[in-house]
Amino acid sequence: MGWSEFIYFAIAALSMWIAGTILLYLKDRTLAGDILIVSGLATFSLFIILLWIKLGHPPLRTMGETRLWYSLFLVLVGYAAYKRWGYKWLMAYSVIVSGVFVLINILKPGIHNTALMPALRSVWFVPHVTVYILSYAMMGAATISSLATICKRESVERNPLIELTDNLVNIGLGFLLLGMLMGAIWAKAAWGDYWSWDPKEVWAFITASAYILYIHSRHSGTGERWNQWIIPVAFILLMITWLGVSYLPAAQGSIHTY
Amino acid sequence: MDSQSKREQEIALKQIIVISAVIAAGFLLQIFTGSVVQEILAAPVSIILSAAILSLLFIKQGDLLQQCGSARVSLILIATLLIISMLMGIIPGNTIKYSWPFALIYLMILVNLSLATGRRLRRFRLWRDLKFILFHLGLLILLIAAGPGSGDTKRYFMTVREGDTEWRGVVSGGTEVEELPVALALLDFDMEEYPPKIALIERRTGTSLPAGRPEYIDAAAGNRGVIGEWSISVDSFEYPKMKAPVAHITVKKGDGVTINGIVSCGNYFQPYHLLDIDSVYSFAMTYPEPQNYTSHIEIYTKSGLKKNGTVEVNHPLTAGSWKIYQYSYNSTMGRDSEISQFELVYDPWLIPAYIGIVMVMLGSLLLIIKGGESNGVE
Repeated sequence: MGWSEFIYFAIAALSMWIAGTILLYLKDRTLAGDILIVSGLATFSLFIILLWIKLGHPPLRTMGETRLWYSLFLVLVGYAAYKRWGYKWLMAYSVIVSGVFVLINILKPGIHNTALMPALRSVWFVPHVTVYILSYAMMGAATISSLATICKRESVERNPLIELTDNLVNIGLGFLLLGMLMGAIWAKAAWGDYWSWDPKEVWAFITASAYILYIHSRHSGTGERWNQWIIPVAFILLMITWLGVSYLPAAQGSIHTY
Repeated sequence: MDSQSKREQEIALKQIIVISAVIAAGFLLQIFTGSVVQEILAAPVSIILSAAILSLLFIKQGDLLQQCGSARVSLILIATLLIISMLMGIIPGNTIKYSWPFALIYLMILVNLSLATGRRLRRFRLWRDLKFILFHLGLLILLIAAGPGSGDTKRYFMTVREGDTEWRGVVSGGTEVEELPVALALLDFDMEEYPPKIALIERRTGTSLPAGRPEYIDAAAGNRGVIGEWSISVDSFEYPKMKAPVAHITVKKGDGVTINGIVSCGNYFQPYHLLDIDSVYSFAMTYPEPQNYTSHIEIYTKSGLKKNGTVEVNHPLTAGSWKIYQYSYNSTMGRDSEISQFELVYDPWLIPAYIGIVMVMLGSLLLIIKGGESNGVE
């Protein structure tokens, strides 16, 4: 089971997610909708497991492989948030964005050879990357939620979405910091130094600082409108860390490019 | 109410001016004295500086110190850090991390963190303040170990030949050779490799086919596969010690054409071998890629310690405050390399760094569990 079969799994999972989300909108409480969404998640996970078995190592190394996990986690987070707070739009948004990433993977899958270089053979490999991708998915959801708050006409302070956004950013930051520190422990074992200001590390640091700025800004009584604006800006920095670093002139020779 | 918020604004402005002045002083220092030389932080400076910063935890805070440790000063400092680290991320080949402005921002953050943590420690209540303390005290310890502590870190590269013992190392980032208090004897160097792969290539350019989406087949005896319109079977595969890998393969095209012969990627003294199928295309073998490499070594220290063990990538060996990392080998000779290269790191601040890391990780777990609920901030 490899990338050539991805299209069947992806289309099956996406159709179930879309149908399930439409059902959620049509009816207030629907078991069929839940079943469809969960089945879609199971189908997508099954592909990842089969790919993992085929490669002989966790599919977390190439860009295409990390996009795979992002597509899955995004829907998972969207669904969990829908279950917890009842926001259907968040579910619909996750499905759409996940669909975009699935499409990229169908058109331009990251097919690389399966050899895993020695530095990547570590117990920290799987938790370091999965925790990061999980955090990215939460921050993605938080960004949409903050933009929804900013665009609403009513007073920003009274918007009930603020609580959701704040929860997502706090939990997302927890995962982000865990990913960063597990990376530090791994780097110590692999390269002899837990922090070396490698370009990817610099941008991960910038991203974390931006979210930490949001949290401190909120606690020091800065205006809520200003706080909400930090989140989309931080997300742009996150995207640079994840996808953009390899294109930056400052990042040539980064040890994080595989 | 209005006059109070105006007063607040004035204070914030003053804080921004003072912080900017410190950074400006950093620029002047940079211009007149050049970058920070990490060696100036070496003990006893590192110890004195750390003790001074940690003593702020216990000092009684007057108006001025209270302001230095305030949440708004943290906010201004984080924003400053964000800007300077963005410069670090954008400007190619910069040395901002060694610059005075960066060092002074780092120092201000340490002072701010220590004061803020101290204030919270004095009215500590477990469930209310645990997350705050884990994050801030953990970060303070980690930043002290990584900042002032960095002056005491020493890094060397050492190359050892199989059967030899070596005690001289080259300073990391330099060329001077020094005699170290640690000696390494390389008993054996081992390397595991992934099997090389069979590829269909265009001979003139060397591109693997199908172009853009190349396909490969593991060179292992009995293995079969399809590349483009060709089906391939690997009849035999040999890879004896000190020789290049060689595979005998049979390839069949859809219309019945069958060709067989050997392919080899060659090595440091044997030439490669292609199996030509027409005037343009050939079958070829890729180089085997390293999977893992291991050195069996014996460590001797001046203090009389003797230790036997293996070092591999991701698994360093510890001897006192020294850690020994597998760094490299003779890559042209691959698994036949008769040398192994190590990185030796002396870091007496490693344990505090790990304590800090673990504390912040525990804080992160609490953050995940608690979400954005109130942090007990006044």
